[in-house]
Amino acid sequence: MRTRAVLLATVASVSVLGIGWQLGTQSIEASQSLTASGNTASTAGTGSTAATDAAAQAAEAAAATAATAQAAEAAAVAAASSDTAAAAQAAADAQAAAVVAADAQVAADAAAAAASSTAGQDGTFTGSVVGTRFGNVQVSVTIASGAITDVTALQLTADDRKSVQISARAAPILRSEVIAAQSANVQNVSGATYTTDAYLQSLQSALDAAGF
Amino acid sequence: MTLDTRSTRPGPTPAATRVPTPVRPAYKKRMRLADTLQTLCVTSVALVIALFLADGGAADFGTAADTLTSIGIVTGLVGSDLLLVMMLLAARLPPIDRAFGHDSAMALHQQLGKPALYLLLGHAVFLIGGYAAAENVNVFAETWSMFGSLPDMPLAFLGLALLMAVVVTSLVVVRRRFRYEAWHAVHLLGYLAVLVSIPHQLSVGGLLAEGTIARYYWLALYLGVAAAIVTYRFVVPIVRSLRHRLVVDRVERIAPGVASLTLTGRALNRLRADGGQFFIWRFWSHGLWWQAHPFSLSAAPTNDSLRITVRALGDASADLPSVARGTRVSFEGPYGIFTDRARTAPHLVLVAAGIGVAPIRSLLESADFAPGGATVLLRSHSVGDSYLSTEIIELCQRRGAELRILAGQRPPRGGSWLPADAAAARITLATLVPQLRYSDVYVCGPRRFTDAVVRDARSAGLPTRQIHYERFDW
Repeated sequence: MRTRAVLLATVASVSVLGIGWQLGTQSIEASQSLTASGNTASTAGTGSTAATDAAAQAAEAAAATAATAQAAEAAAVAAASSDTAAAAQAAADAQAAAVVAADAQVAADAAAAAASSTAGQDGTFTGSVVGTRFGNVQVSVTIASGAITDVTALQLTADDRKSVQISARAAPILRSEVIAAQSANVQNVSGATYTTDAYLQSLQSALDAAGF
Repeated sequence: MTLDTRSTRPGPTPAATRVPTPVRPAYKKRMRLADTLQTLCVTSVALVIALFLADGGAADFGTAADTLTSIGIVTGLVGSDLLLVMMLLAARLPPIDRAFGHDSAMALHQQLGKPALYLLLGHAVFLIGGYAAAENVNVFAETWSMFGSLPDMPLAFLGLALLMAVVVTSLVVVRRRFRYEAWHAVHLLGYLAVLVSIPHQLSVGGLLAEGTIARYYWLALYLGVAAAIVTYRFVVPIVRSLRHRLVVDRVERIAPGVASLTLTGRALNRLRADGGQFFIWRFWSHGLWWQAHPFSLSAAPTNDSLRITVRALGDASADLPSVARGTRVSFEGPYGIFTDRARTAPHLVLVAAGIGVAPIRSLLESADFAPGGATVLLRSHSVGDSYLSTEIIELCQRRGAELRILAGQRPPRGGSWLPADAAAARITLATLVPQLRYSDVYVCGPRRFTDAVVRDARSAGLPTRQIHYERFDW
């Protein structure tokens, strides 16, 4: 090699390596913040699901109570006006409202029972914890009307920065593939073999528990 | 015509300092191309390391296991990159041939073989070690689990085994035991080795995962190399062979086992072949078609004919002197920079021995020089036993080149390329050619002869750019 070629090659190589190094530093910083936010997000995610459910139940109950209260109030007004027919009607209304409220309560109880038991068809089922060399993996699956509607990753390979990066990329791909395929028989995500294997294994155990 | 060593006056002792010679624009252009190609080659290695760094690889040296894994990834990347460079060097790319010549490209190809294999073996060893350390199992258990649980790993191990076979059969000691065709067949498995290693790079490697820029770069690299190989090793030679329709027109036996073959064809100017270049020929006759041989032009090419002078070797080329008239010939080429285009100095010195006289003769015919501007040195055992010597004498007279025939046995020791009496009288290239330092020296002959002449020229202080030689035993 001539001196000129050596110089050119050195300058080109050093700049390429320098750019690579800089990009790498940025990606490390980005993934460190990703690690932090990822953990919070996943907790918040499960938390918010629970919160939503609770809120829905509370709203339902509140609606039922409101309906009963309204009917009772109407009955009271009717009674005060001493209009017998109206009073009877109002009382019937109140009674019906109470029945509806009771029914709602029963339905809510049944739903809760279904969710907590594993024998039912619909609901959210949690898979087993699968260990890999990069950390544990566990997913839960939501089944509604006999179809997989959602898969939530409760734990993902997160032993190191690299694993967090890989699983953060693989999880959404796997989730959409599973929902599209409606089974745990989906393709390996390239570059995330360990995560894929463990994810699908945990998912399968959840589906087995659901009798899906 | 014979050199009388006793009457040759001893020339001035060659100066150690290099004398600047006027540099031709063609040389500058060729060197710019060479610099660019070398820079690209080195930068491609830097670039794959940069991909690793850009992925945050610099942070993955925290634990022993991480360090082993990271080293394994880097060696794999660099080793694969070198394999691609090697394949390009062997792909007969026109810019590479123009800048370095086919033999230099193949010499580098050969030199890179072992480093590439060591890097890829290191890739396997370090990654098995790194994974085993991370999982806290022994390396055998880890290898076994890689085979079973990771996708495409059996193929990757197969690729490594094939690559070892290719490199081992190419070691000089081992290669001598094989016929060229057997060695070449094993060598072609190198392509298979590269092919079967691709799936695991894309499926197991997190660095080349889907959606990353690195993956696109990597795929582009492989596709580019594949395109170059298909184009210049297959498409171009086939198209040229079909277009120019070369057939054997005349076979002239010039010595036992040596013949000049005149081949005729159409529009041969379009090949832009030059005196001193070689082609890889295939003669489509019974018993010969399965072998391809490199032979240099022994006459300046014309628009409708090419001539080669061949010496039968031990294999099927022994039948070449008896090849029938009208036999169809396919070819790859022209290749090589053993031509007038590589000139850098005003004077021309041509040194030939044995069948090496063939390219020297065509070079002498097509080179650009004024009468008195060239010296031809023909080395042989006894006067008159050089091949094509009558043609060379006639050409030298016609073009005004000085001819010296150096005949006699080589001295048993000392590594001189001259006859024993000349060597004893301390005759060198510099004393034979007074204007040596203003000359381009072209040497062609057996390997030991060529090496000795090149050594002589270097010790006379001739810069590398003024020494030209071509090797056929790559």
